Amino acid sequence: MTQSHKHATPSAATPPTARTPADLDRFLRVNHAGERAAQTIYKGQLAILKNHEQAAEIQHMMEQEQEHLDTFDALLNDYKVRPSLFDPVWGVAGFILGATTAAMGPKAAMACTIAVEEVIGEHYAAQVDHLKAQNREPELTKTLERFRDEELEHRDIAIEHDGQEATGYPLLRSIIQTGCRAAIKIAEKL
Amino acid sequence: MTPSDSDMRAQLVTAAIAHVPFDGWSHETLSLAAAECGLADTQWHHYFPKGIDEVVELYSARADDEMVSAYHALDQVPVPVHLKIRTLILLRLHQACGHSETVRRSLGFLAQPQHAALATKMLYRTVDAIWRAAGDTTTDYNFYTKRATLAAVYSATMLAFLADDTDDLVKTEAFLDRRLKDVSRIPKMAKPAQVFATGLASVVSRATSIMERRPFRR
Repeated sequence: MTQSHKHATPSAATPPTARTPADLDRFLRVNHAGERAAQTIYKGQLAILKNHEQAAEIQHMMEQEQEHLDTFDALLNDYKVRPSLFDPVWGVAGFILGATTAAMGPKAAMACTIAVEEVIGEHYAAQVDHLKAQNREPELTKTLERFRDEELEHRDIAIEHDGQEATGYPLLRSIIQTGCRAAIKIAEKL
Repeated sequence: MTPSDSDMRAQLVTAAIAHVPFDGWSHETLSLAAAECGLADTQWHHYFPKGIDEVVELYSARADDEMVSAYHALDQVPVPVHLKIRTLILLRLHQACGHSETVRRSLGFLAQPQHAALATKMLYRTVDAIWRAAGDTTTDYNFYTKRATLAAVYSATMLAFLADDTDDLVKTEAFLDRRLKDVSRIPKMAKPAQVFATGLASVVSRATSIMERRPFRR
C-alpha cells in the first residue's frame, strides 16, 4: 500500500458487520476490477514496447494505475466490499488487450489507451455526479475526481502520441469501448 | 428505518428466538413474539415487510455481530490466522450454546429448497465476518477461495455442534481442529498449480521477448 486512506468507515455505533449501501458496493467493486484491468493493459503494452521511445510514458501511466489499484484495494476493505468474482479474468483480459494493440503498433496501443480511458473517465464522472447529487461520501468523491482527471490526462497523452491516427481507429475504438462497457456491467454485479 | 424501528426489530427477534424451539420459524412464532412486544398479531409484518426470511436473516446477522464484538473484546488473540478463525467460530458456537434447539430449527428452515438463496447469503456473511475479523485483506480471487474453504469448515462444524452432547463443546472443538488441520494441507496441494503458473509465465515472457525483436522499434 502506498499511502494511508482516511476514508469514512462505519462509525462505532454501527454494528461490526453492517452492510455497505448497494450503490457504493457496486462502485467500489467495478472500480477495483477496472483498475486491475487498466494496470495490466499498460503492463501488456510495456511487455511489447519496452524498448520503444514511448515506454517511459506508458510506464508513468502504469504507475498511476497501480496507485489507483492500491487505493481500491484499501477501499474494498474499508467498506467491506467483495472484489469481482472475475478478478483474474480482468487481469488477463487487460494484459491481452494491451499486448495485442501494442503488437499492432505504437499508434494502435495509444488508440487503445484513448478508447479505454475515455470510457473510464466517463464512468468515474458518473459516479462523482451521483455522489455529489446526494451530498454523500465527500472523501471518496474527492478521490474519484482525482482519478477521473488522471484517466482523462492519460487519454490526452495518448492523443498527443497520435493514437487517433492508428489504422482503423474508429473501428478499433468502438470495439474496445463496447468491450469495456460490457465488462463494467458484469463487474458491477459479479 | 428509524432507530425505534430497528429497536423493535431487535426486540421481535429476541422474543421469537424463545418460541422457535416449539413452533419453528413460523407465523405462529412471530405472532407470539409480536404479542410479547406489545404489537397486534400481524403487526410484525410492518417491521419485516419481506416476511420470515428477513427475521431469520437478522437473527443470523446479530449472531455475527455478537461474535465479532466478543472477539474484539478479547484481551489477547492468537497470532496464527487459523487459530484466530478457530477462536471466532468457537465464540459463535458458545454463544449459540443456550439455544441450540433454535439453531437446529433454523438449519431445518434454511435446508428447505425455497430458502437456498437465503441460506447461502447468511453463510457467506458469517464466513465473511470471520475472515474480516481475523484481519484478512485479500482483494484477488483468494478472497473467494478463502471464504469457500471456511464455509465448508464452518457448516460441517455447525452439524458437529448440534450432535455434541458434551458440556463445553469438547467434541465440537476436536472436530473443528481436525477440519482446520485438513485446510492447512491445502497450500501443499496448491504447489503443482504454482509450478504450472510459473512455467506459463516464463513461456509468455519468452514469447514477448521474441516478438519484440520484430518491427515497431524505430
